[in-house]
Amino acid sequence: MATRIKDVQTNVEDLVKAREARAPSRQPLAVPIDQPVTFPLELPESEARLRTPAVGQRATRPDGRLHGLGQTQYIDDITFPHMLHAKILRSEYAHARIVSIDTSEAEKMPGVIATLTGAEVPENSFGPTYQDQPILAYPIARHRGDGVAAVAATTEQFALDALEKIKVEYEPLPAVYDPLEALEEDSPKVHGDTNIYTSKVIKRGDVEAGLAASDHVFERRFSTQMVEHVPLEPHATIASWDGNGRVSIWSSLGRFTLGREDLARTLQMPQSRIRLIGTVVGGNFGGKNEITNEPIVALLSKKSRRPVKAIYSRGDEFVSSTIRHPFIMDYTTGVDSEGRILARKIRLVLDGGAYCSWTGTTIGKGSILAPGPYNIENVLVEAYAVYTNKTTTGAMRGFGAPQVCFAYESQMDDIADALGIDPLEIRLRNGFSENSLSPTGQSLQSVALKESLTQAADRFRWKEWQA
Amino acid sequence: MLVELTVNGESRSANVPPETTLLKMLREHLGLTGAKLGCDVGDCGTCTVIVDGVSVNSCLMLAGRADGCDVTTIEGLATADDLHPLQQKFEEHGALQCGFCGPGMLISAKNLLDNNPDPSVFEVRDALAGNLCRCTGYTKIIEAVIEAGEMMSQEPANV
Ligand code: FES
Ligand code: FES
Repeated sequence: MATRIKDVQTNVEDLVKAREARAPSRQPLAVPIDQPVTFPLELPESEARLRTPAVGQRATRPDGRLHGLGQTQYIDDITFPHMLHAKILRSEYAHARIVSIDTSEAEKMPGVIATLTGAEVPENSFGPTYQDQPILAYPIARHRGDGVAAVAATTEQFALDALEKIKVEYEPLPAVYDPLEALEEDSPKVHGDTNIYTSKVIKRGDVEAGLAASDHVFERRFSTQMVEHVPLEPHATIASWDGNGRVSIWSSLGRFTLGREDLARTLQMPQSRIRLIGTVVGGNFGGKNEITNEPIVALLSKKSRRPVKAIYSRGDEFVSSTIRHPFIMDYTTGVDSEGRILARKIRLVLDGGAYCSWTGTTIGKGSILAPGPYNIENVLVEAYAVYTNKTTTGAMRGFGAPQVCFAYESQMDDIADALGIDPLEIRLRNGFSENSLSPTGQSLQSVALKESLTQAADRFRWKEWQA
Repeated sequence: MLVELTVNGESRSANVPPETTLLKMLREHLGLTGAKLGCDVGDCGTCTVIVDGVSVNSCLMLAGRADGCDVTTIEGLATADDLHPLQQKFEEHGALQCGFCGPGMLISAKNLLDNNPDPSVFEVRDALAGNLCRCTGYTKIIEAVIEAGEMMSQEPANV
């Protein structure tokens, strides 16, 4: 960051020069800034909204005008009188037992109105599949992104200063970072006595017989990395607990109804007393599909009797919000001399991070799609999701589909290359067509795979590129 | 400390703590929430505003350093009569999805067109390099900027 700050200082010098050089007659804009300009919101109805089929037609967004005017209201654009700002202290260790948390010094800091620890959360667990994730870790922290305490103060800066005064005593525990090591019997365990928390098997035909009958067998391990969604709007929440014991929560959450259930569970109060207000979301991509700091902010508001806002820093986003599962994918594929796939055997290991989140959906979709869009009589997919002491992996665009696509398409290229077959041709030989059966036995309709491939290849002149 | 600025043509001032960034001053002290906080470290461009003719990441500039400067934010782009050509073209092209990058993106684009009304695609990409968008893939944004430039050179009175 140091270089950036220097850059800006240089820029500022330029600014000063520019200011001096500026012509005094610059025309001011005629708009009083306290009353932002508004324009009627009836947008020209685009053809696409009036006609079917809409494919190929330009559509406009109903909210496009407010976006362009800078008047769309995201959570951070909302404020309330006497509102406090919350910040969360995160674990110092990837795996540790929290021996004690002392917030007394933090409470004496200027501007601090309330603090919160995991022991104060009525039901300290949530999750869309398993409720294995704490709101604030207590007594075990399972990755560096786990929150351990929170502060609400009159300014963000006061809240940040107070975080430094919270004393947490940890007893570090052995941690596991590699999903393959996590599979081993003597590896440190993140929860309970095994790190495998969900698995899936898909079986069709006889994969061993298919491999035995093949002319060539290709084996390779593929792996993918973590990916953070990086929504440009960080996770944001405002909560306001009223005198009647009801709480209003403004949240950037995508899966709303589910979120309200998790809130009712963690706060131990009926849903009818929780008013959850969905705001415009500044990018989700799957990363805002479950609650994060909402219960913390709600409880801080309950303790302080004031509205509380919490905006994740970009650092919080990376360490604490969910990310895409890294996959380790072992592919063994048998083909005949023409490159037709006779059997495919796949083992997937999903690095799940510290908590389950949306792994159930990811392992399901990843497994079903793992053999690829190809007609294969003999298939075996075995998939395991394992806990590690790392950032929690969850929903992200495609739920496992992009990871396996990388593996099976890379292997198709390997096979084409080894057998001297055109990469397009090998896909056309094996690809799904109308009424093909998916690996789970579903008869597929409206399959335009081959037509799409041929058309695309024509459009970018695949043949010429090959020549 | 007292900071005095000209914002979108109006004199504004506020008493702010010395660590206050220009972004924070605009958003929290002057009520101009158009510029957004996306990263607070100069990486994303959602906080872009024009200060004395130069587009800056206002999250990295202390309000005190902008004292006496002329600042243009997204709120100053439209006139009372009309949308700015960039706003029109962004809307027509559906160039924004979640919209969070929009204010910064439009301000960077405005600064480009103010200095270079007929930019090449490469120049547009270069001018917007500091503005990240996670939703759109940029294509429509670039088309919209080019068309807005064409529109502005045809009707200079509109700008
Ligand atoms: S908030 Fe200023 S660059 Fe991201
Ligand atoms: S429209 Fe969502 S980040 Fe650009």
